[in-house]
Amino acid sequence: MTTRTRKIVIAGVMGAVSVFLGATHLGFIPWIAGAALTIMHVPVIIGAVLEGPLVGVVIGLIFGGFSFIQAAIAPTGPADVWFTNPLVSIAPRLLIGPVAWLAYRAFRRWFDAPSFAIAGVAGSLANTALVLGVIEFFTYVKPDNRFTIKLPWQAAGTIAVTNGLPEAVLAALLTFAVVASYKRVKTRRTGSSI
Amino acid sequence: MGKDTMGERTDPAAKTRREGRLEFDLFDGIRIGRYSEVHAPLHALDARVKLLLGVLLIAGAAASQGISSQLLILCAVTAGFPAARVRLSEGFRPLIPVLPFVFALALLQLFAVPQFRADARVLWEWGLLKISTRGLAAGVLLVTRFTAIVAGMSLLSAITTASDLASGIEHLLRPLQKMGVPAHEFSLVLGISIRFVPVLTEEASRLMKAQASRGADFGYHKTNFVKKMRTMLPLLVPLFLTSLRRAQNLVEAMESRCYTGGKGRTYMRRPKAHPADLFALACAACVVGGAVVLSVFGADARMWRWLGKVL
Repeated sequence: MTTRTRKIVIAGVMGAVSVFLGATHLGFIPWIAGAALTIMHVPVIIGAVLEGPLVGVVIGLIFGGFSFIQAAIAPTGPADVWFTNPLVSIAPRLLIGPVAWLAYRAFRRWFDAPSFAIAGVAGSLANTALVLGVIEFFTYVKPDNRFTIKLPWQAAGTIAVTNGLPEAVLAALLTFAVVASYKRVKTRRTGSSI
Repeated sequence: MGKDTMGERTDPAAKTRREGRLEFDLFDGIRIGRYSEVHAPLHALDARVKLLLGVLLIAGAAASQGISSQLLILCAVTAGFPAARVRLSEGFRPLIPVLPFVFALALLQLFAVPQFRADARVLWEWGLLKISTRGLAAGVLLVTRFTAIVAGMSLLSAITTASDLASGIEHLLRPLQKMGVPAHEFSLVLGISIRFVPVLTEEASRLMKAQASRGADFGYHKTNFVKKMRTMLPLLVPLFLTSLRRAQNLVEAMESRCYTGGKGRTYMRRPKAHPADLFALACAACVVGGAVVLSVFGADARMWRWLGKVL
C-alpha cells in the first residue's frame, strides 16, 4: 500500500541517490572517446515506477535542480554551459518520471518484469531527447544568442545516437535489476545485505 | 630491471597511498555547495531572502542581452564577496576548471553565429569562416554571462546552509499552500535528500570495501566498457536496494511517530524579516533592474560606438 509518507520518503531518498551519483564520479560510466554515460536519471525512473508519476516529477525536479546548481557552482565540462539555463537542466527532467511510468503501466498488462526495462528505456530516451531538443530549440529560435551557442543538428543527432542509445540500455538494465529485486526482497529477508 | 619510478610518480593509486588515504575514501570530501562558516553580514540574512537573491541573479542574467548588463551584475556580485567574508580568489575558483571549455565555445561562437543583421561589420574573412562584430559580441556575452552566474551562485552557496535551503523553500511556498501547492511535503523531500547524501557516501564506501573483499577490482587500470560495467553493477544495484530499504525504515519510523503531514503544522523557529533583509533585496532588485534597463536601452550599442572612437 502506498501512503503519502511513503511517497515523500521515496522521493527524498531517490533524489539523494541522484544527487550522490552526480556529485561523485559514480554516476559517469566512461564510454568511448572520453564521453560518459550518465545514470543520474535512473533514480527518477525507479521512483516513478515504484511510486507513480508525481514522485517521478519531484525526483526529476531534484535531479534537474542539482545539475543546474552543479553547473552554476562547480562546472565540470562543456555541457555545463548549457545547464546554467534552468530551462535546459530542470524542465526536461520533470517529464522523465511520467514518461517512464506511462511506459511501465502500458506494458505491465502483457509482461511483468520486462516492463521495468521498457520503462528504463523510455525514461532514458525521454531524458536524451528532451534535453537535446531544448538545447536545439533555444539555439534555433533565438539566433541572436540567448544562453548558448548554436549546437548543430548533426552534433545533437550524433550525441543522441552514440550516447543516448547505450544510456537507454544501461538504464533498462539498472531499472530492471533494482525494481525486480526490490519487489521480491520486500517479502523475505535472506542473503547478505551488501 | 629497477623500480618503475616513472610509474610510481604518475600512478594515481600510488599518489593516493603516498597521501595516506585509502583508495576507498574517495567520497569523504564531497560537499554540496561551498558554505563557509563565518559570521558575516550576508550569512545572517533570512533564508528566504537568500533564495530570492539567487532567483533574481539568474533571472537578471538571463533576461539581459547586453554585455554591460552582465558586467553590472558581475560587479555587484564581486562587491558582495567582502560582505560575506569570502576571499575573491576562493569565490572565483569554481570557474578555473571550466575556463578552457568556455573559451572554446566562445571561439566557436565567433564563427557560428548566423549573420541576420546587415549592420554586422565583418572583421576578418577566410573562405567560409567569418568573424564579425556580432560574433565577437556574442562570444564575449557568453563568457561574461557564464562568469556572472557562476560567481553569483558561488557567493550564494557560501552564505546558504542546507537547512537554510529547505527552510527557505518551505516558507517561501507557504502562502501557496492555500492553492494546493504542497510546500511542506516538498520541503520535507528536500530535507530528506540533503540528509541522505552523507549516508549514501558512507554506504557506497562500505559497499566498495565489501565487494573488494570478495574479489572485485576497483583499481585504476584502464578498463574497457564491459569490465567497468562488471565492477560498477555490483556496486550500483546494492546501493539502490539499500537506499530503498532505508526509505522503508524511515517510513515506518515516521508513521510510528504519528507523522500526519503538513496540516496544522507549526514551527519552532519562524523566520522574521529584518530591515537588513529588505535592504539586501532592494539592492539586488536595483542591480537587476539596472541590468535590464541597460539591455533594453541598448547601452551596448553606445559602448561599442564609444570604444570604436577610442580605439
